Amino acid sequence: MISKNVIDHLRRKIGAQNVYHEREDLLVLGYDATPEIEGLPEVAVFPENREGLEAALEVSRQEGLAVTPRGAATGLSGGSTPAAGGMILGLTRMNRILEIDEENLTATAETGVITTQLFNAVAAHGLFYPPDPGSQNVSTLGGNVAENAGGLRGLKYGVTRNYVMALSGLLYDGTEFVAGNKCVKDVAGYSLRDLLVGSEGTLGIITEITVRLINPPQDKRTLLAYFRDIRTAGEAVSKIIAGRIIPATLEIMDKTTINCVEDFAKIGLPREMEALLLIEVDGHPAVVAEEVAGVRKVLEQVKAAEIRQAANAEEALQLAAARRTSLSAVARVSPTTILEDATVPRSRLAETFAEIERLKKKYGIQVATYGHAGDGNLHPTAVTDERDPLELEKVHSFFSELYEKVLSLGGTVSGEHGIGIAKKGYLLRQFGQGGMEVMRRIKKGFDPDGRRNPGKIFLEEGGSTGVKVPGGTHV
Amino acid sequence: MSEKPSTGNFRPEDAPAYESILQCMRCGFCLAVCPTYALTNRERSSPRGRAALARAVAEGKLEFTSAVRDEAFLCLDCKACSTACPSGVRVGTIMELCRSQSQSFHPPSLPAGMLRDFILKRMLPSPAMMETSMIPVRLYQRLGLQWAVRNLRINRFLPDVLAKMEGILPTLAPPLRTEIPETIPAQGERRGRVGFFLGCAMSLVFAEVSRQTARILSQQGFDVVTPKEVKCCGAPHLAEGDRDSARRLALINIDLFRSLDVDYIVTDCAGCGCSLKEYEEILEHRADHDTVRLFCSKVRDISEFLAEVGIRTEGLRPVPLSVTYHEPCHLVHGQGLSKPPRQVIRSIPGVELREMKESSWCCGMAGSFALKELETSRRILERKLANVRDTDADVLVTANPGCHLQLAWGVRELAMKQPVWHIVELLGKSLPQ
Repeated sequence: MISKNVIDHLRRKIGAQNVYHEREDLLVLGYDATPEIEGLPEVAVFPENREGLEAALEVSRQEGLAVTPRGAATGLSGGSTPAAGGMILGLTRMNRILEIDEENLTATAETGVITTQLFNAVAAHGLFYPPDPGSQNVSTLGGNVAENAGGLRGLKYGVTRNYVMALSGLLYDGTEFVAGNKCVKDVAGYSLRDLLVGSEGTLGIITEITVRLINPPQDKRTLLAYFRDIRTAGEAVSKIIAGRIIPATLEIMDKTTINCVEDFAKIGLPREMEALLLIEVDGHPAVVAEEVAGVRKVLEQVKAAEIRQAANAEEALQLAAARRTSLSAVARVSPTTILEDATVPRSRLAETFAEIERLKKKYGIQVATYGHAGDGNLHPTAVTDERDPLELEKVHSFFSELYEKVLSLGGTVSGEHGIGIAKKGYLLRQFGQGGMEVMRRIKKGFDPDGRRNPGKIFLEEGGSTGVKVPGGTHV
Repeated sequence: MSEKPSTGNFRPEDAPAYESILQCMRCGFCLAVCPTYALTNRERSSPRGRAALARAVAEGKLEFTSAVRDEAFLCLDCKACSTACPSGVRVGTIMELCRSQSQSFHPPSLPAGMLRDFILKRMLPSPAMMETSMIPVRLYQRLGLQWAVRNLRINRFLPDVLAKMEGILPTLAPPLRTEIPETIPAQGERRGRVGFFLGCAMSLVFAEVSRQTARILSQQGFDVVTPKEVKCCGAPHLAEGDRDSARRLALINIDLFRSLDVDYIVTDCAGCGCSLKEYEEILEHRADHDTVRLFCSKVRDISEFLAEVGIRTEGLRPVPLSVTYHEPCHLVHGQGLSKPPRQVIRSIPGVELREMKESSWCCGMAGSFALKELETSRRILERKLANVRDTDADVLVTANPGCHLQLAWGVRELAMKQPVWHIVELLGKSLPQ
């Protein structure tokens, strides 16, 4: 138990309104959007500036508290859940946009800025920050960097990593770091910046982020294609890519997903179809016209059941927004949705869909599949009930077997959600003991006693107490 | 899985269904639209956090503590989270049930409880008693005391809450309920017969607005039947957690309108409309389902009704004004009606609709919230009015008496140029004399 003295000290240093220790606050600061995973912190602090953050870290060291950084807690692998209790370090109140540099085409913001706020702020200057994770309306930039978040535009524009130019913050022992700068070229030293992107808060706390901005596309066209067989949709994706067309967005939704999204968004999606592709092509108007024609040709070749073009920008936006709700919309049909973000080389998509279909039948479970087909990043989502341990076991077996296949196809166990707690076991399979050992040494260099965001990424590292695993089958 | 789920630390009566809480998968999409989270940045004051608190109570991990009660009442019940939630969680409804639960876990102190009971159980159910209670206010206004209080700034010396109560009340006309004819015949080609559900606030505070509603309905070709025995819709009771009184009033209103043989039941109060449409839910297993369903199926907000039957535009006169539209929570989130009011506004010749930012963001009134949480309410209102100001529109249009009072108070306090009109007042200006 944390003592009253420590709480009082934190309140003095960080502001009483930024320190929570009542049970009702702590109970709602132990989860993110990952099912089955939940911790309970002893205290939560939300510093408003670097000094407050320093004070919080100092207390954590003195008291031997585990520290878990937390943005908007929309993560999908448990990265911000306090697996070992201790202190939640909320970063949503360091949320100023510090600079939009039109000469260098960069923006600098504090870690707690919401992704779309940054997008809108730079858009007002005629600039474009492309990464657009599904939770962009609530997720923080710091969270995006920590998880190296992707999004719908990842296929053409890349993911968060591709836009991070500089990071600064504090290591857990209080050391300040600055990694990167505004230079387009920079090969000085190890790329600490690239190590920190996607490190899931296990190495240090990022407080400021400088991102690269680009020109927004001049033109955009959105196509919808419907399919009577999901494998045909997979084939279409592989052929579009093989045809050297890189759409900004190339999303897939299967029948279950289509129906759940339609229940929520009511935008007239075809409920009877087995799959749809949402394709957005952008760029110079002449190129866009050419690529739309190319995409259409592929769709006709593979005999898509129907091809539609969005009538206007508003309809296109509506379609993209609807796709973003897929996961949550799928949650309509059952209490628990367990999703993964298996990713394969794009030429292997059709095979992967076939394997998903086969395993669904084998385990007799309901799975909705959608995802960023264009970059091979799928989100097979098991629709289940966490109160049913038998079914949960089947779900976990399903994913375990699917990942065998994914890895055998040269894929990865996480395209964009990170490892966190949920995928620790799969990571070992992908990297083997050797790869894990390298990562462990890195982690030790930053955090020798393993009390900083404990329980993440590494399988047998201590600190799994406090994690709720109702099914008892957790990888 | 098959055993009846226990309600954990909730009392069984009117406990939120466990399934309805478990439906939240914690994606956090609601955080972006919650006015109280926007102000506090505190997870427990967000829809996701509130659902998690309810879940902790339901799972026996947390008693129904005073903090749970406080969150239930700090929730505006604006239902913006329901609109935003892809999983179909209705945190507002869960919080309404928590308010009801809190009456047994944290009963109000004796005098406060007696006042609450008097208002909810005696006064609101009795239109006559409410009308009588307003007489001193009308007298106060009639005698010029209001003018004196406002112009001599005497209200500076009142406690804040009294000052707001004084400031928010417009000049009152006699209640419409006592004056409106039982039946107003259709004009022109007859298109049907509607029952007009005249809400308490509309009759008492916005009599002239509801007069326009009746006039429009008749001008549009409908016989308008306004039963004088109508009771409060029950919305204040649901909001305060008195579900039993709400059910009693619902049954009386259902019976009343069944006897009138009308094609539709129309209201110009978004709060009433929302509440009337919820009768099916609050009376589940407690009344004849078909009767309740038939009643609910006839209920329409005035905009919804006009958009559905089609506005007869011949003879409408141009109204050369720019307007901006504030969406009442109980219309856009409670009833899912966002397009119909805009259709009505756009059908009026000469009117230019200027969309404000965050048009569906709560104005901070939220029933009695505006008086209970003065400061929070004021900050929510300021956000709204800044968006109104940016449009530079001539008129601020809305469609609910609560919003109307709050917005009108706000524009007066901030000396803004926009008068606040109900949508039917705007349409009324266009009607031929």
